[in-house]
Amino acid sequence: MTERRDFLMKLGLGAGVAGLASQGAASLRSLVPNVSYDAPTTVKVGLPMEFPDGLKFLPDQRLFVFRQGNIFHAVSAVCTHLGCTVRAEALSQPEEQTVGGAPLRLTHRFLCPCHGSKYGGDGTNLSGPAPRPLAWYHLEVAPDDGQLVVDLALEVGRDFRLTVA
Amino acid sequence: MSTPAKPLAAAPTAPGVHPKALWSLAPRSDRESGDAVVSNFLLHWFPAKVFKRSLDWTYSFWLGTITSALLLLLVLSGLPLLFLYVPSVERAYGSVKDIEYVVTFGSWIRSVHRLSAHLMVAAVCLHLVRVFLTGAYKNGTGRGQRREWNWVLGVGMLLSTLFLSFTGYLLPWDQLAYWAVTVGTNIASSIPVAGAAIRELLIGGRTIDQPTLIRFYVLHVLVLPGALGAFFAYHMWRVRKDGGLARADREALLREKAEELPAKTKTYTLLGVARGTAPAIRSTTLEAPDLMVNAVPDLTRRVATAVLGTIAAISILSTLVRSPLEEAANALVTPNPAKAPWYFLWLQEIVTDTTFHIGSFTVNGAFVGGVILPGLLVGVLTLWPWLDKSPASATGVWFARTRRGQNLVFLALCLVVVLFTLIGTFCRGPYWHFYWPWETWPEIPTRI
Repeated sequence: MTERRDFLMKLGLGAGVAGLASQGAASLRSLVPNVSYDAPTTVKVGLPMEFPDGLKFLPDQRLFVFRQGNIFHAVSAVCTHLGCTVRAEALSQPEEQTVGGAPLRLTHRFLCPCHGSKYGGDGTNLSGPAPRPLAWYHLEVAPDDGQLVVDLALEVGRDFRLTVA
Repeated sequence: MSTPAKPLAAAPTAPGVHPKALWSLAPRSDRESGDAVVSNFLLHWFPAKVFKRSLDWTYSFWLGTITSALLLLLVLSGLPLLFLYVPSVERAYGSVKDIEYVVTFGSWIRSVHRLSAHLMVAAVCLHLVRVFLTGAYKNGTGRGQRREWNWVLGVGMLLSTLFLSFTGYLLPWDQLAYWAVTVGTNIASSIPVAGAAIRELLIGGRTIDQPTLIRFYVLHVLVLPGALGAFFAYHMWRVRKDGGLARADREALLREKAEELPAKTKTYTLLGVARGTAPAIRSTTLEAPDLMVNAVPDLTRRVATAVLGTIAAISILSTLVRSPLEEAANALVTPNPAKAPWYFLWLQEIVTDTTFHIGSFTVNGAFVGGVILPGLLVGVLTLWPWLDKSPASATGVWFARTRRGQNLVFLALCLVVVLFTLIGTFCRGPYWHFYWPWETWPEIPTRI
């Protein structure tokens, strides 16, 4: 008799706990979005020839696009420490350096207003709390209208250069 | 107020039946005083009698009461704001601007809410410091005391208060708000493995947008106040269960010691009468009426002074201090410097200084200073009552000699936090560079 009562009581309590637990799990799961309404990560940013020589900041993409003649590359403006937008500061003397095995003219350095991280012209973290260099993103020319297309989901190595014919 | 003699005499004397329908704020007898506590709902959480010396303002500084008064003010001033604020990324900033510049008394109500919040953070921290330095989380002479758990509840309430402040200053959706969410949620995402998922759950996506605002809004107006309210009720219940302020134990202990000399066993038995469910204080109540006063009016008058004083101070201060509102949230420009409110500046200072490298392996300061160190601090704080091995006689005494070492370490830690807060407030300029307060900051163009 007592065994059956004991069993039924445990069954009831267990069912209650399981019910509450699944309610909790379902509530929590419902808060994890299934559809992203975020801005697309592949963005057209304009015709290559409209970019100035040197650096252009694209605030909407939080991105720096560099142009040296017909060679382009893009570096993120998002600080790798805690995600504030770094600011570019022009160097008094541009430096020629080998970055990723190819020469690159460095015209700026980057400073973060939130916690004081400093980056070199190629995005290398020089001082401050930043743990990693700024990300480099993939650039290509759109086949339809010839605009530059940046892929903010595709990080590339620092040997990346886009040569526009 | 004159009591007719007839109904009083005719009233039944059975327990639980009170001869007077009304209670008195200025009772003329112990009976009337006790009736007040029993028959008034607002006073039901008070004991009938309290230790005189528990009421000394130099013991507790009434910091817990002041904190509760601020919480009350926050709930009251939050109510009209709840009707006026619109939790949408397009309209939040505009609605706060309306509250500030268009709504009648809006600016004052917002100021009451904001100042109470700032002062509540300060009051909660000071309350914690007071409880630590007096060893008030320790169990003294009473049976069934679980003061260590009330301390744990207190740590929970401190965290709730900080999260409430954080979610609160996000709601105007101005620059301060936007970049605080950015930094705050990136601290969460610096946690290895689970970080990205936690951030996505917090902001409801991968970028900060409407789902983020509504999440923090619901946390601010419902989830966190609810949690804090539940904690508060439990906290008060435990204070009663533990026999009042820790200082009360001190009194009981002294008495026990004094009477221990002539007849050891008997006095011990007298205090032991309350063994079981009733707190030991009760036996002292009977044994030492000279140490006790009636809760009404001695306690109620002081509580009223602290609460009404706080309300008056905030009301006046709010007419003098306007609440700031920065530019509307702009994802394109990070302010320079971007500073957190004062109570988070020591953390901002820590996340700046704790990135370290082991060979080619780098640990982000966001994780060390934003997760590990604060986590460790809260963990040790929570467990401290179990780590503190000092004798029960150190309960409820300011700077007890037997707790000197831990008090000094605690004060040193407090000093570091205060120092970092001061550096963050007064010595950090553009790009978080160090400047002395009397130095002028260099001109920095707002755009590249």
